[in-house]
Amino acid sequence: MSLQTMAQAVAATLDSEMARDDSVLVIGEDVGKRGGVFLATDKLFEKYGPDRVIDSPLSEAAIIGAALGMAVYGFRPVAEIQFADYVFPGFDQLVSQVAKLRYRSGGAFTAPMVVRMPAGGGVRGGHHHSQNPDAHFVHTAGLKVVYPSTPSDAAGLLRAAIRDDDPVIVMEPKRLYRAVKEPVPEGDHVIPLGEAAVRREGDDVVLVSYGGSMAETMKAADALQEQGIGAHVLDLRSLQPWDEGAVLEAAARVGRVVLVSESPRMAGFMSEVSATIVEEVMDSLLAPPMRVTGFDVPYPYAQDREYMPSPNRILRAVERVLSY
Amino acid sequence: MILQGQAFEPFTREPIRLIGDGGEWLGPFDLDLEPARLRGFYTDMLLGRLVDERMTRLHRQGKTSFVAPSAGHEAAQVGLAHAVQPGHDWLYPYYRDVSLVLSFGVPLVEFVGQVMGTRADPAKARQMPYHPGSGDLNVFTVASPIASHIPAAVGTALAMKLAGKSQVVLCSFGDGATSEGDWHAGVNLAGAQGAPIVFACENNGYAISVDLKKQTGSDNIAVKGHAYGMPGYLVDGMDVLASYYVTREAVKRAREGVGPSLVELVVYRYGGHSSADDDSRYRPRQEVEAWRRRDPLARFRRFLERRGLWDDADEEQARAEGEARLDAAVAEAEAAGPAPLEWMFEDVYAEVPERLAKQREELDA
Repeated sequence: MSLQTMAQAVAATLDSEMARDDSVLVIGEDVGKRGGVFLATDKLFEKYGPDRVIDSPLSEAAIIGAALGMAVYGFRPVAEIQFADYVFPGFDQLVSQVAKLRYRSGGAFTAPMVVRMPAGGGVRGGHHHSQNPDAHFVHTAGLKVVYPSTPSDAAGLLRAAIRDDDPVIVMEPKRLYRAVKEPVPEGDHVIPLGEAAVRREGDDVVLVSYGGSMAETMKAADALQEQGIGAHVLDLRSLQPWDEGAVLEAAARVGRVVLVSESPRMAGFMSEVSATIVEEVMDSLLAPPMRVTGFDVPYPYAQDREYMPSPNRILRAVERVLSY
Repeated sequence: MILQGQAFEPFTREPIRLIGDGGEWLGPFDLDLEPARLRGFYTDMLLGRLVDERMTRLHRQGKTSFVAPSAGHEAAQVGLAHAVQPGHDWLYPYYRDVSLVLSFGVPLVEFVGQVMGTRADPAKARQMPYHPGSGDLNVFTVASPIASHIPAAVGTALAMKLAGKSQVVLCSFGDGATSEGDWHAGVNLAGAQGAPIVFACENNGYAISVDLKKQTGSDNIAVKGHAYGMPGYLVDGMDVLASYYVTREAVKRAREGVGPSLVELVVYRYGGHSSADDDSRYRPRQEVEAWRRRDPLARFRRFLERRGLWDDADEEQARAEGEARLDAAVAEAEAAGPAPLEWMFEDVYAEVPERLAKQREELDA
């Protein structure tokens, strides 16, 4: 165990996986000498050299496409997209090639690769440095998507993603890269894809969130606790596959659910969670599930904080499901 | 060595030709191909032509939904296929590459099974016709989005370089592909990294209906190689030996670690873009007829005949053999039966997720 920030945990996990398996390599913009603009690939270049830590041209299509071609050949590339907002030039590679390769080739070719990308707001970056395009990826069959909220989960999910035989998108909440340090297990610390974590147990309301919004969700849970209201808090950690069992069990037991995500509301991931809850455990619900999300506007610059679900907005949604 | 160390000139104004209109050898060096190999080039081209005709017939019979005619491209594709090593090198083809994938070794029944969408398709009938591939032969399964395979082809070439096995990627595409962002992304990366890859542009002058002048302001495609730091060769793609020898040089260059090349093969597609196209709306008939008089099969046949390597009896026999192979492949693909429902839910992921297993149940009434 060592105390690490999320960015340090990512770099340490890449290091240990590259040491364990020669087929693991890193490709992206500024991942080499610079160590990544968030230092998530810090010191890898010095240790593994330019063949395994590849500074790519400024081209997301080249990064993702080349990673695919290397994966097809037998390597396990970890591609970095500098900001999730810049994935779109490589989006066709993800949707048309990476996601569909196993399917369209009948299993003849597969894409065991990872695409990491810092995502989400809170860094005053305006819409081109703050978006949360997770819904695009979960909507695309063939991709897996994880979104950790803690250094330890970032390490364990990234390790699972690298070892997975399917392509995995790893979204990293950039505003939490250096927010906290926590002990991160070393060695074979793997968090299986598709398992939510219970962050707090409670019987009055269920709060479900993931990624960057976990921080605000926990603040809301603290405030509820002070009022004597017990929140059961689930951190999804994986969006595709997602832990339907944990969510449905809690929703059925408690009957009141608030779903928190900083992605835009329209057709967002929490809409899928909400629909599944209603379809599966309607009889046990005491109130309709409420979503607290980012707004359906391009991510703004001046209202960086106001765009994201705040503890207050979460508390107002809790009030509504409690008083329904 | 046949070229006495002399490479072909890149960036010529006129396409490189090695066979004249009358079938005469124009090369500045001696041929180093055995007669059997030369005859093999011709029978490969002939099979491509016969496949084209047969698939068009199957389409009219309602036995396939789509055909992408490749007649006119045979010399370019056969030349490309013979310049690389099956079982060692990798192909990243595009949808019109019938002769390329068959000459490289993809079994005819697999190709026909894919076109007919039956159980005979090893890729499980997930894609529309003319999207072949082969895991065994390292033929990357064709995808529809134009040029989307190019960055991946470069990635595989970079992987080969890392693995140090002297392998090469041959990546082909049409003229329209060169306008896509993915083309630039891939070719640029290959140049920057010195990837062992040969880019082959089968330039038939049209992206469906849009002619080359509307596609690019460049004089030709080959010249674009200059900007990416690689030689660009302008080649008469209706000349199988020019296609073969220039590509062979480019493959050698890649294999020896010198770097990538761009080979432009100037061809013509005799048919429409596809079975859903009406090319009379955009191509004058005189133009099609003029190119028909330059048929790549006819020219190479004259070459072989001048050397006493081919005659009418050979032609008759080769056609009969090709038709018989097609009869057998079509019969086998048909007999394999329709693709089962289960295939819809498999291979999305390594394991079928619970969620998909539940969705599958919705189909059980």
